[in-house]
Amino acid sequence: MLILPQEIKERVEEVISNEFGSGIKYESEKYGIPSDVKTRVEKSAKQKFYSDNVYLYKIKSGKTLKAYGFLDNVYGKSLPITFMVFLDTKGSVLSAHIIKYREQYGGQVGSQGWLDQFKGRNNQSGYEVSKDIDSISGATISVNSVTTGIKKITLLYQEIKDKIK
Amino acid sequence: MKNILYMIAALMLTAATLNAQSDEFFEPKTTISGYGELHYNSVGVGDAERNETLDFHRFVLFVGHAFNEKWSLKSEIELEHNYIRGGQGELQLEQAYVNYHHADYLGLQFGVLLAASGLINEFHEPTNFFGVERPEYAAMIIPTTWFGNGIGLYGQYKGFDYRLLAIEGLDPDKISYSSGIRGARQKGYMADASRMLYNGRVDYTGISGLKIGASFAYNLAEGDTNNVAIFMFEGHAKYEKNGIIAVAEFGNISYDKGILKNSRGYYVDLGYDLSKVVNFGAQLAPFVRYSQVNPAHETLAGGNADKQYGFNQIMFGLNYKPNGNVIFKIDYNQKERLSDNLKTTSLNLGVGYIF
Repeated sequence: MLILPQEIKERVEEVISNEFGSGIKYESEKYGIPSDVKTRVEKSAKQKFYSDNVYLYKIKSGKTLKAYGFLDNVYGKSLPITFMVFLDTKGSVLSAHIIKYREQYGGQVGSQGWLDQFKGRNNQSGYEVSKDIDSISGATISVNSVTTGIKKITLLYQEIKDKIK
Repeated sequence: MKNILYMIAALMLTAATLNAQSDEFFEPKTTISGYGELHYNSVGVGDAERNETLDFHRFVLFVGHAFNEKWSLKSEIELEHNYIRGGQGELQLEQAYVNYHHADYLGLQFGVLLAASGLINEFHEPTNFFGVERPEYAAMIIPTTWFGNGIGLYGQYKGFDYRLLAIEGLDPDKISYSSGIRGARQKGYMADASRMLYNGRVDYTGISGLKIGASFAYNLAEGDTNNVAIFMFEGHAKYEKNGIIAVAEFGNISYDKGILKNSRGYYVDLGYDLSKVVNFGAQLAPFVRYSQVNPAHETLAGGNADKQYGFNQIMFGLNYKPNGNVIFKIDYNQKERLSDNLKTTSLNLGVGYIF
């Protein structure tokens, strides 16, 4: 099990139960990204990973694996934005959520209306802001960071899906 | 001023007793970002010879440092018009404050703060507006960049985004027919703190693509002979979705004494981002603007100033962003003075960046 700060842990649990129902079971681990994978994904996404790890959740209904959850961070203007992405086993986004926002401006990236644009997207989809993803007035930096952060997770999944089964 | 001191003390006490623990995702970090803009302006008044200038209007650096997850420093230093000589060109500290982020719904700020007024003052990077220069409205009615020393709070709650500030007041002796309160800003320079200005804004962003809001500012400004009660109210909206970019701002400033009774203005922009259709760059947006601005909308002193300083404006232009960080702009506009229909035409070209 992961040991996360209480506030983040509670928010993650809330998001999981809203998404999959309160009875859902999950396993979680701190996943060390292999360095060759990290380099490839960073190059392709044009964004560095926040650290060498992401937090991986396996959402299970009975013994069936329903979805993967990734908890990760991207930088806003100067502080990290903690976000979570759920992928189906093929690697398409089921939903995306902001877990913690720490800056004054740009908090609108946390609105579910904006985040719902990512549903159904995968590693092949377009992620260009204002073209594929709507921008938000006054939140440009956060919009760019979170969009690339989510893209990066879809790319990472394709690289590691066989390893994390 | 006493009240303000009590307020500061209470805010600091609150902040100090709040738990400032950081989670494991946080790392102390210093960030540098910024923006800049080079402008070419060709301006012709009536039949007179056109005046052409090339001006690196603004070079700006943002320096921020997060001490821990709750406490950070934010700053913005701006050099205007390349360099400073005999009162021309400006070096300004437009923002420099200690920020305490308690939670999404409450943060506190202490230092040089941007007034929370209109769409542009807090978001004044060149990528955020149509036209090479900022709209006339954002100079003659809302005097961007408007900043002052003081304290503030901010937050977000269920699609609402709000700020409340107490900053240095205005100097009523410098209110003018030609630009309202623009010259009355103290810009933090040894600011007279006897009469604070109170400013608040609420925006609603709960509908995808839309930002709509309003703000007020009140100051009983202390002058050499008169104290002038100044009250500003403005409303603003921006809609950006499916290629449509629509902007509207309206503002009114009322004064109880002095030369002016009201300053008033508005502008409306409508643009369409063609980049989705023609697959060219990150934004390719032609636009049109209509604006009426009159810093001397009604005067207390009489005379014909109310006609002489007001104008209508129509503008056409294009914003092109090859990527999210660089912007090229062109616009052509005509201003018509209310008193005698004297026409001023401008052709402007600009390049800007943010990082």
